[in-house]
Amino acid sequence: MPATDERVSRRNIIKGAAVGAGSIALAACAPDSAEGEGVHVTRVSRVPADDPDHHAWRASTAKVVPLGPQDMALPQQLSPSISSVRVQAIHDGERIGFRLEWDDAESNDLTVRVDDYRDACAVLLAPGAADANLRTMGSATTPATLLQWKADWQRDLDFGRQGLEAVYPNRSIDTYPIVYDTPPDEVDVGSYEAAGATEWLPGLNVGNPFSANHRSTPVEKAIAFGFSTTTTAPTQNATGRGVRTATGWRVVITKPLSAADDGELAIMTATVSTCAFAVWSGSVRDAGSRKCPAKSVHALNVGP
Amino acid sequence: MAEVFNWQLNRTMQYPYEEVRPVRQAAAVFDTNKCIGCQTCTMACKTCWTSGNGQEYMLWNNVETKPWGSYPLAWDVRELELLGPQHWSGDTYTGKTIFEAAPTGERNIAWKPTDLDYAYPNRGEDEVNVSLTVKRYHLKLPQDMWFFYLPRVCNHCTYAACLQGCPRQSIYKRPEDGIVLVDEERCRGYRVCYEACPYKKIFYNHTTRVSEKCVFCFPAVEQGIQPRCMRNCIGKIRSFGFLSTPTEVREDNPIDFLVHVRKVGKPLYPQFGLEPNIYYIPPIHVDSDDFLKMLFGPGARAAIESYKRAMNGEDNELLAALLLAVSTDRIIHRFAVKGNTVEAWDETGEKVVSMPLKVPTIERVPYDPDLEVYRYNIT
Ligand code: SF4
Ligand code: SF4
Ligand code: SF4
Repeated sequence: MPATDERVSRRNIIKGAAVGAGSIALAACAPDSAEGEGVHVTRVSRVPADDPDHHAWRASTAKVVPLGPQDMALPQQLSPSISSVRVQAIHDGERIGFRLEWDDAESNDLTVRVDDYRDACAVLLAPGAADANLRTMGSATTPATLLQWKADWQRDLDFGRQGLEAVYPNRSIDTYPIVYDTPPDEVDVGSYEAAGATEWLPGLNVGNPFSANHRSTPVEKAIAFGFSTTTTAPTQNATGRGVRTATGWRVVITKPLSAADDGELAIMTATVSTCAFAVWSGSVRDAGSRKCPAKSVHALNVGP
Repeated sequence: MAEVFNWQLNRTMQYPYEEVRPVRQAAAVFDTNKCIGCQTCTMACKTCWTSGNGQEYMLWNNVETKPWGSYPLAWDVRELELLGPQHWSGDTYTGKTIFEAAPTGERNIAWKPTDLDYAYPNRGEDEVNVSLTVKRYHLKLPQDMWFFYLPRVCNHCTYAACLQGCPRQSIYKRPEDGIVLVDEERCRGYRVCYEACPYKKIFYNHTTRVSEKCVFCFPAVEQGIQPRCMRNCIGKIRSFGFLSTPTEVREDNPIDFLVHVRKVGKPLYPQFGLEPNIYYIPPIHVDSDDFLKMLFGPGARAAIESYKRAMNGEDNELLAALLLAVSTDRIIHRFAVKGNTVEAWDETGEKVVSMPLKVPTIERVPYDPDLEVYRYNIT
């Protein structure tokens, strides 16, 4: 975290202080008051990390979490296209797992074209018992752990990294100068890696996880200290898998109960913490703060 | 929202961040009257910065034929439509900027191009739009009787729309020179920036899945060398340097002189409200003042008149400043006119230009007795 904080504050020298944003957001946040609204994390013998249809999920009761508009941080999503997500949670003493299911008629699992936006879902974990103040992606003093499953990362994993051929099968390119040895229609990220020329793919060159050629998980673990601060965690040990259902997506997200990174929430058995959920629909250009968040945070009741 | 001063609009305006100006602002003046549409600048940038997989459709520098040409397709018409009426009262803009016209829940108005909008760079150039079978017409351009070339790069705006749009603060403006850059490590490809920039000068990389934009060739600029598209300009239309604010003008700085003193360099679509830092000398042959005002603001006609005076030999200082364009690879910080000569110095104080304002004409006799030939090129 320190490196990122340093960068952000360096930029603020020229950008000045952001006006508005955080303080209004806190005031607009409805407290999670209703009794029994918590998510119960049932103990099972093993959390199946990569099978959304595993029988282990039968042990857990589902909770329908209502989703609403994102009207706190700009840009907003005032017309959310997904109204609810069905949530289940289990743990095995080592890992915690969530299964999220929602309806979305259109599958969006590519981010190649400028107007391709991904479907995604995320779990927010933070300390406290349903602390409503942390709905704003944590706070300056209390970080939130974010676990986001991304449909395009899933497709990369299932079918190999998706490139131009996925959307422009009939493209015609004269040459890519830096990797001119490779026939142009065969050039991909690996060509630049093999040529030691990744500076021509700047995102990849600086290690941006969104540009990565090789993935081991469709779930990104990130830490946030409030809006605008979400940063990929150094240790990527969250796992999961998402599959299409007849009406939408069924997605499993897991992480160790313990914390590996600064700011990450360590979850103890037989305790209560805070959780929240969000879903993104690529078909309406959801991305970042344009999303369908849970209308409130929930207590995460972790069983013994 | 903060209240910031935009000198191009002659008023304060709403912007999400406080007014914090760089120590000096990298800027350029393009003389549209000299651009020949050769696209050398486009290729200079393309071959240097955007030849990679995923950047196929990206033109950080493009040259479009106005009034019809555009890249991406009809970008300016679509932004202006979203913006609504744009009124000026004298030098003061009384309409709304793209920030002030933002719909609820957004920071700005935004036209959102699709991939197809980028697929026809400069559509509208040299196209026949009337059936050749129609009597009287052999060939007709879609343009009116006039057209001109408009070269475009990122404007490294003082109030950058891309920067303010990014919810992650992944875009920053360098305090030392005002160059606007994307932090390639921090960007997550949300693309709010590409929606927000009304000039459509920030792009999504198909392969790295994050955004990229013109970097004003900062590695060169840091060494006192002009950006690649500027120093390769065949028509010598591009003057690059550092611009001061109107209250700190240095008359011997050619960019200040062109923009603030003689006021021949005008911003492109100042009504968007970004205080862009690429300035244009408007085309002298365009007969529609409304069109010029729409593109370059209310000072366009006066700029043309000043420019004409220089061309008619009535303003040698302005002529000198204009002649410095692409006369050296070094960034010019100071210039002076001595008789028929213009001299210029770089930041270290080294003289990098010394050339005549008017090249002497030598006339040769048509017949060369040594070679026993007649020459046609006798001047
Ligand atoms: S022209 Fe567009 S991309 Fe460039 S600084 Fe301005 S808003 Fe950003
Ligand atoms: S300044 Fe450099 S990066 Fe920007 S358009 Fe010109 S050549 Fe490209
Ligand atoms: S290189 Fe110069 S003359 Fe040629 S198109 Fe570009 S700006 Fe115009």
